[in-house]
Amino acid sequence: MKKKSALALLLTTVMVLGGCSVATKSNTVGNTAEPAASEAPATAPAGDGTPVNIDVLGMSSNESDLNIVRDQLTKNGFNVKLNIQPDYASFKAQEDAGNYDVSLSGWTTVTGNPDYAVRSLFITGGDYSRQSDPELDKLINEAATQTPEEYTQTYKEFEQRLVFDEARIAPLYISLKSQAVNKEILKADTVRLSKSRALAWEDIDFNDTAKRSAEPLILSQAASTLTSLDPIKGNDGSINQLNTNMYVRLVNLTDDDKITSDASLSRNHTIADGNQDYYFILRDDINFAKIENKKAVDTGERVGGDDVVFSLDRAKNKDSVPDHRTYSLHEHINTVEVFTDLNALESIKVAGGNGTVKEALEKGLDAPISELVADKKQANNAQGKYQVVKLTTTEPFPQVLNYLAHQSAGIVSKKQVESINTYNVATFDVNKDIPYGDQNTVTEGDQYNNTLYTSGPYILSYKNDYEGIFLKNPAYQKGTDNEALIDQVNVRFIADADSTLSALRSGEIYVYYGVPETKYDVVEGDSKLQLKSIPSNGVSYLLFNTENREVAKSVDLRKAVLYSINQDEILAFYNGKKIKAVSTVSPLIDTGNVLTADPAKVKEFLAAYQASK
Amino acid sequence: MVNANAERRELQLKLKTSQEYRQAGFAWAGSLIITVALLLASYDWETQTVKPYVALASLVYAVFTILQVLVTLLIRRDLRIYGEIRSITRALGYVLLLSLVTGNVFLGTAAFQLIQKRKSPEYTLAVYTLLTQLGVIAVSAINLYKPYVADTFLTGMFILLAVAGFHLLTVIVTAVFVRRRQVPKGLLWVAYPLLLTSLTGNLFALVLGIILIVRIRNSGNPAVAGWEDVLERLTRNTTAMLGLLFIAFLFSVSVCSYVTFDYGMAVDNNYSLILQPPSLAYPLGTDNFGRCLFTRIIFGARISLIVGVMSTVLPLFLGGTLGAISGYYGRYTDNIIMRALDVLYAIPGILLAIAIIAAFGANTVNLILALSVGAIPTYARTMRANVLQVSTFEYVDAARAFGSSNRAIIFKHIVPNSLAPMIVKATLTIGGAVISTSSLSFLGLGIEPHIPEWGNILKLGSTYLETNSYLAIFPGLAIIALVLSFNFFGDGLRDALDPKMD
Repeated sequence: MKKKSALALLLTTVMVLGGCSVATKSNTVGNTAEPAASEAPATAPAGDGTPVNIDVLGMSSNESDLNIVRDQLTKNGFNVKLNIQPDYASFKAQEDAGNYDVSLSGWTTVTGNPDYAVRSLFITGGDYSRQSDPELDKLINEAATQTPEEYTQTYKEFEQRLVFDEARIAPLYISLKSQAVNKEILKADTVRLSKSRALAWEDIDFNDTAKRSAEPLILSQAASTLTSLDPIKGNDGSINQLNTNMYVRLVNLTDDDKITSDASLSRNHTIADGNQDYYFILRDDINFAKIENKKAVDTGERVGGDDVVFSLDRAKNKDSVPDHRTYSLHEHINTVEVFTDLNALESIKVAGGNGTVKEALEKGLDAPISELVADKKQANNAQGKYQVVKLTTTEPFPQVLNYLAHQSAGIVSKKQVESINTYNVATFDVNKDIPYGDQNTVTEGDQYNNTLYTSGPYILSYKNDYEGIFLKNPAYQKGTDNEALIDQVNVRFIADADSTLSALRSGEIYVYYGVPETKYDVVEGDSKLQLKSIPSNGVSYLLFNTENREVAKSVDLRKAVLYSINQDEILAFYNGKKIKAVSTVSPLIDTGNVLTADPAKVKEFLAAYQASK
Repeated sequence: MVNANAERRELQLKLKTSQEYRQAGFAWAGSLIITVALLLASYDWETQTVKPYVALASLVYAVFTILQVLVTLLIRRDLRIYGEIRSITRALGYVLLLSLVTGNVFLGTAAFQLIQKRKSPEYTLAVYTLLTQLGVIAVSAINLYKPYVADTFLTGMFILLAVAGFHLLTVIVTAVFVRRRQVPKGLLWVAYPLLLTSLTGNLFALVLGIILIVRIRNSGNPAVAGWEDVLERLTRNTTAMLGLLFIAFLFSVSVCSYVTFDYGMAVDNNYSLILQPPSLAYPLGTDNFGRCLFTRIIFGARISLIVGVMSTVLPLFLGGTLGAISGYYGRYTDNIIMRALDVLYAIPGILLAIAIIAAFGANTVNLILALSVGAIPTYARTMRANVLQVSTFEYVDAARAFGSSNRAIIFKHIVPNSLAPMIVKATLTIGGAVISTSSLSFLGLGIEPHIPEWGNILKLGSTYLETNSYLAIFPGLAIIALVLSFNFFGDGLRDALDPKMD
C-alpha cells in the first residue's frame, strides 16, 4: 500500500539521518564548559559536585545584566536564584534587609575624581559603604593626598586588594554615556554631553529662538520620586540633574572633567601654596529665586559669601540635617570663611607657580580688586568691591575642587534654610517636621507649600507624578552668556526606557539622556535625532553581602563568583558598547589591571570553599 | 420550472449534508490562506528580493490547494450526478494525503475524511491521534539541524516513530473493523496499547483508547448513551477538531520536549548567536541572548498550558461547588455565599491578580492562584443557575422521595446534569487565562524572565519590534493560535452538547 511504503520511506530516512550524523549534547559540548540546565537543581560539577546556592538581587531595569550574570554563574556551577525588584525603593529595601548574596549595583563618579569613586563606597563608615577593611582605608587616604602621577600606583594597589585579593566586588562593565537630541527642534550642539557633570539646561536653545519664551523645553527622567531638593540630602539619579540646575556652585566641571569657574558662582578660583587653602572670588549678579503663585520671582536677596559658608559648613557636617547623604564627599573641608584681608591676599603665593593669589583671582576681571567686603550687599564688582571665600582642607587635598563642583555643594540660602529647618536634628520626626527641600512641599496637592530658594538658573515650580515644571530664575547672571535661554523646562517622569525612546521619537520630549546601548541603532536610524555618546564614569559591578551570609565569610566563594564573570560576553551582548572595568576608578585612571574569567580558578575556589565548610 | 427548483434544492441539501464536501470546502479555504501568507512572506520588501525557500513552500502549497479545489469540484459533480461520492474520487484522497508532508493539516484532515466512506467517531479520533503524533515528530525532527541535540533525542525519536507507526495501524484497524457503534472485541489489543501511547501526551490516543474499551464493554447493550451523540457531533465539527488538534499537539510537544529538546538551548546564553534571523538550525531565529526562539516557544508552551488549564480547573471546582450548594439549599446559604462572591466579583480580575502577585511574589503556583481567585464568582453563578433549574426536575423529586441524602442528590443527580454549560464555559475561558498569564509575564509580574514563557518571550520581543520583529511575531502567533484553538473547541463543544443546535 502507498501509505505503508511512504511510512517505510520516512522511517528509513529519519533512521539514517538519526543514526549517522546526529551530534548529541554530551558528545559535542563535552565536559569542559558544560552548560547546565538551571531547571534541574543538579547542575554542573563544581568542587565536590554539589552546586552552590547563590541569591542575586537586582532591579528589573537591569534585567539583561542579571540574566548574563545568572547564566555565567550557572555555567560555573552555581545554583542561582534571582530576586528581581521592580524599582529602586523595593530593591533598596531588600538590600537593607540583607536578602542577597550578591546585588547588582552601579556607581557613577559624578565629580570626576578618583577619590570620590572609592571613598563613599569602600571606606569604613562611608555614606554608601558596607565595607570595613583598614587596608583599604589606608590606601584610600593615601591616594587622596597624592598628585595624579603618584596615585595611579596607589589605586592599582587598591584595586588589587579590593578586587583580586579580597573580592569585595565583582566588576561588570563601564557604560557609555549617551544622549539623543531631537535636532529638528533643538540646536543639537547646545545640548552638552559631559563626562561627569549633569546636563546643563541654561545653554540649551531652540532652533527657532522665538520659542524661548513661548514654549517649554521638555526633558525626561526615570524617577518621579525626588529624594530631596536640599542638595546635601540626596545623591542619586532622581535629583542630580535637577539640583545641579537649581543651585549654583563655587566651581564647575568642564565636559572633560577639568575644574572651571565658568557658569559658576565664582569669577575665578585659585589654590594657595601648600595645597590646603583655596580662594574663590564671587560674582555679584545672582539673586535667589522663589516661587509665588507658581511663578518664579526674584527674592532680591543676593547669593553671597555668608550663603557659601553656611552651605559648605552644613555639607561637611554629618549632623546638620537628618538623613545626610553626602557628608563624606565634604569631610576634607576644614573651614570656610569670607576673606576680607586684601593685603594678605597680595602676599600669598599660588600653588606650583608664580604670582600671588590676588593676581590669580583678578585675572580677566573687568575691574581690579579694590576692596574686599564682608557684607554681600556691599559687593559691587563694577566698582571693584568683591567678596572672597577662603576654604581650607584638613590636609593637602586638591581633589576637593571636584567635590565643590558636585551638586551636593550647591549654594542654598542661609536665611531661608534656617527659617524652614527649625526642627531639632536629634529629635527629628519624619511625620511632623517638614525639612527644606521635602518633595511633598513641591508636589501638587494639600501639602504643596513651595519654600525653595534657588541660586541656580532654574527653580522647580511644582511637580506631580507626570512631570516637574521648572522656571527660569529671573535674577541669574542676567545679561551674561550664562543666563538661561529657555524660560520653562518640563521634566517628564517616564520610568520605562522603551517608553522614553518612543516619547523622544514622537516628539513628546526633546532630549533623551542615557539611551540604552541596545537602542543606538534605532536612534541612529531616525533622521530627526542626533546621538552622541562618550565613555562615562558609570561602573556596574556585583556587590557582595558583608553580613550573615556565606559570601561574607568565605573569600574563596567570593573569588569563585569573581572569576565566573566574563566581561567579554557582556561586551558581546552590548555589541561592544560597554567598556571593561576592574573597579569604580577604572573610568578615571588606567591602572593596568584586567579581570579575566577563569572557569578553572572557579572550580579551584569552589573546592576550597567546600573543603572549608 | 418547478422541477428545476426542486432539483436545485435537493442538490443543495445533499451538498449541505455531505461531510466530505463541507470539509473539502473548508480545507481549500484554509490552505489558500496559508498559501497567500507564505506568498507574502516570500518577498522581502526591503531588499526587493524573493526568498527562495519560502517561495518554494508557497508554490507547493498552491499546487495542493489547486488540487483540493479540483477535488472539491469533483465531489460536487459526483453528488449532483450520482448522488454520492464515487470511489475514484475518494481515491484522490490518497494523493492529497501527501500534503501532510508539507504540514498542511487542513488538506490532511479533509483527505482522511474523503478516503473513508463510512466514518465512525473512532476513525476520526484515530486520524487525529496520528496527526498529533506526526506533528510532534515533525517539530522534534527540526532539532536535527541544530549543532547538537539532547542526549535523549535519538531514543525519544525512535519511540515517537514507533508510536506513530502504531497509530497508523490504529487508523487502518478502525477504518476496517469499526462499524457504527460496534467495536469487535479483538480491538482491546489496540485499545490498551493506545492508552500506553497516551503517555507521550497524546490526548486523542487517551480518548480513543477509553472509548474503544467502553464500547467493547457495552457491546451487548442496545441503549445509546448521551455522550455517544455528543462525540459524534463533535467529531464531525472540523473547526473544533482542528482546535483540539492544536491543543493536543502542544500538550504532547510539552511532554515530549523533555526528551527530544535541549532545555539549555532555551535558557543558556550564547553570545556568538545574538539576534540571528530565522535559519534551519534556528527556525524562528535567536533572541538578544543568543537563545533559540523556537526551543523557547516549545518550552514556553508548558507553562502557558499548565497555568492556563490549572487556573481554569481550580475556579471550575471551587466555584462549581459553591454554586451547587448555594443553588440547592437556597435562602440564607444562597444569600451568604453569593453576596460574599459578589464582593469578589466587584474587583477586576487582573487587578486582583496583580495585587496577589505583588504581595506574595511571583512563581507558578502564585500565578495560578492569582488568576484563579478572580474567576470563582462567574463559575459559581453559572453553576447556581443550572442547579436551580435542574433541581426542579422530576428525577430529583423522585430521589428525594426515595430518601436520598442531600449530598447524594447534589452530586449524583444534580451536578452531572448541570455540568455541560460549565464545561463549555471552562473551555471558552481557558483562552482568557492563557492571555492573562502572558499579560502578567509581559508586565514583569510573572515568572523569572529567563524562564521561557510566552508572555516573557513576547515582552522581550516587543522591544525589538522594529529591528528584529520575528522575536515578537512568533510568540504572538503562538498565543493567538492557542487561544483561538480553545475558543474553537469550546464553540464545538457547546454545539455538540446542545442537541437543539444540530
